[in-house]
Amino acid sequence: MAEVKKQISTNWYKKFDQIDGSHPLKSVIPEGYIDYPARIRKGGKVSYFNFSLAKEMGLIPKSHADELTMELKEKILSTFSIQIINEYDQMNNKKFPKDEIKAGTYMATRYLQLQHDDKKGRTSGDGRSIWNGQIKHNHKTWDISSCGTGATRLSPATSKYNKFFETGDPTISYGCGYAEFDEGLATAILSHIFNANQQSTEQTLAIIEFKNNISINVRVHENLLRPSHIFLYLKQDRLEELKSLLDYYIERQREKEDWSDCPSSQKKYDYLGDKIASTFGALSADLEDEYIFCWLDWDGDNILMDGGIIDYGSIRQFGLFHSEYRYDDVERYSTNILEQKNKAKYIVQTFAQAIDFIKTGEKKNINEFANSESVNLFDEKFEQKKNENILRRIGLSQRKRKQVLKRKPELIEEFRKVFSYFERAKSESGVVEISDGVTWDAIFSMRTLLREYPQIYLNTETFLDDTEFIDLIKSSYATQNDLEINSYRKSKIYEFQKLYLEIIKETARTFQQTQEDILLDVCQRSQVINKAERITGDAVTYIVDLLIQQKKSLSVEKLYHLIEDLGGHQNLDPDKKIQFHQKVPKGILRKIIDVVRENREGL
Amino acid sequence: MKLVFYSGGYAEENFNLDQGLLSLFKKKDLKLTFIPSSSYNSNEDYRDIIQQYRPYGIRKFYKFHVDHPFSEISKKIAFQADIIHLGGGNTFYFLKYLRKTGLLKELKAWVRNGGVLTGVSAGAIIMTKNIETAAFPSFDCDENEDNVKNLAGLQLVDFEFFPHYKNSKRYDQELKNYSKMIQSPVYACPDGSGILLNHNEIRFIGKTFCFVNGHKYLLNK
Repeated sequence: MAEVKKQISTNWYKKFDQIDGSHPLKSVIPEGYIDYPARIRKGGKVSYFNFSLAKEMGLIPKSHADELTMELKEKILSTFSIQIINEYDQMNNKKFPKDEIKAGTYMATRYLQLQHDDKKGRTSGDGRSIWNGQIKHNHKTWDISSCGTGATRLSPATSKYNKFFETGDPTISYGCGYAEFDEGLATAILSHIFNANQQSTEQTLAIIEFKNNISINVRVHENLLRPSHIFLYLKQDRLEELKSLLDYYIERQREKEDWSDCPSSQKKYDYLGDKIASTFGALSADLEDEYIFCWLDWDGDNILMDGGIIDYGSIRQFGLFHSEYRYDDVERYSTNILEQKNKAKYIVQTFAQAIDFIKTGEKKNINEFANSESVNLFDEKFEQKKNENILRRIGLSQRKRKQVLKRKPELIEEFRKVFSYFERAKSESGVVEISDGVTWDAIFSMRTLLREYPQIYLNTETFLDDTEFIDLIKSSYATQNDLEINSYRKSKIYEFQKLYLEIIKETARTFQQTQEDILLDVCQRSQVINKAERITGDAVTYIVDLLIQQKKSLSVEKLYHLIEDLGGHQNLDPDKKIQFHQKVPKGILRKIIDVVRENREGL
Repeated sequence: MKLVFYSGGYAEENFNLDQGLLSLFKKKDLKLTFIPSSSYNSNEDYRDIIQQYRPYGIRKFYKFHVDHPFSEISKKIAFQADIIHLGGGNTFYFLKYLRKTGLLKELKAWVRNGGVLTGVSAGAIIMTKNIETAAFPSFDCDENEDNVKNLAGLQLVDFEFFPHYKNSKRYDQELKNYSKMIQSPVYACPDGSGILLNHNEIRFIGKTFCFVNGHKYLLNK
């Protein structure tokens, strides 16, 4: 049953009333946003609600059952089912009933976007989103924004055609101000999984669904500012606004524990530079190692200031290291997963330029910061994280990683090289076109290798022979020719096993444990970290199709539990105890797991 | 043939069955392969298996999935174990993949060549003639979502096994009715009890009931 009628005090949902369009950012830079009046949009239904997130945000009490009560449903709709009264509406003097007009106004923020010809951010920003507001709970501050609330003047369409569009104008798709339900659901699924695995990301609070696959997708994060919000003022040489916005960001971040040592003097800007460099260095390593495709570019869009993922339209998680995949965005191809690092580095370089501008009052050429301290710190953090990640992927606990890295950094780096040789091996078939871009298939599954090798060695105490090794790690993309064992590959197979065992032996020596005990521990951890059934972007697409087909039988509660269970299934933390709603998957969940399995090596 | 049928329950409840299992071996350095019924949530079960058997000195474990592709080398090592343990879960799903991968036959041959096969719940049911008991009791049974038609199990014994048995009228009624329709006995075990088969010798460990021709008998207190 979708709606459980219960007499619950409306006080339970009082916090929703704070989400009224007000946001401190409005007073920081009055020109940094377009302020829109809004009206209630009727005909929507709550299709998804993230109960645990709502509890964390204090929107519903902790003791609230995971049930969409009538009162809660009404509160969600009255808060989030809104549409802006945009320039088109105003120019055409459209009238709306007074009781449907929201009391507050809602901002569409300006930020830099490479899709806009202007390249300076004068016309770009939230093209179909508004910020609903901000709430605080348990020492956390949450920004809330909704996608699909109407066409703003900051959309690429308005910029391109130099006119204002009616919300929902069927002549224009990207720019009509609507968002799609399938897109919202895909975001809810993948962001839930990433968040559960400690990847900083926007999260979906609710999806309000309308006819024809249209929806309003409500998203939240502790700080929704993107680098592109900042870069806008840098590109336009507006020092005062640049400084104001960075000051605002720093003050917001200061509330967080890991920013507690941020100085209050001018040194805070250097602190920010270091934070950004460290965050983006580590993030780039993580994206590469988790095979997360996130289209980073010079504009600093598609990513949040704290390294959180936003805008899931082009986000994918690959099952193998398909490092040549590029998304086809009609007018351009995206970066590939290996190029993300340099784009992230360029974002850091741009921040170095911005901070120097604030400190000196003089905007220098971006190239002068190519070897800045920030950029060097980025490189250092990237390397550190890559080293740490390879040990984590092997299955060593944090304590063990730290000691092994301290004692044998050169061993880890050597191992990374041979690991990379297999990870980056590509099919002889070359670059191929696919439905949304181009790719070049990876032929080896490193997750299989890391998952299976320790338990094979634990049981056999001998190296695999060359054929067995290749047979173990071959992916479904590999052709017979791809798997040829030449003398170079032979040497790499030997080297991999030799170095892997040296790492295990070093760990055993350091922690005075037997090699067998270390391997058994690694076996258990690597089974979780390198699970065979890692969700991919392709799988998410099929899961969304499946859920849409089954929509009639899916209550809000059931959908929430399904996504929670899928999140549990995708847990990559061996130290985390997962509580499943379904211990043995049945019905739709079973089908979802089948989809994940079938697409596990894809894009 | 050496087989151990576990009903379920926590490790400490199965101490006597574990001791029975170990008594089947003379050597100490044992290898155990765990075959989960499904890869879903199997890591938790894998950890539990290690925690259950490690205190007995078993230090070499191998986890082998049947519901996604595996390499020849993985299969080879899985079958080099001294003990193969079939996990619990959905019996129909498990049987489907054991049959699809050809492992049903290979397991049978492995047992006949001296391997010790153990199973818990669904895994134990699969070791018997057929998996009909997975459909009982009607109020808490496995769902046959895959529409598995061939319900023949490993057919290593001539009895059927009913795990997680609760001594109640609801269970009894269904099992009595079922036993009227079949020739072989149904051994019903509450969690923590089970059956140990060592060639021709059968031992009931913990409380065990037998349902035959519509009657219920207590075999072991």
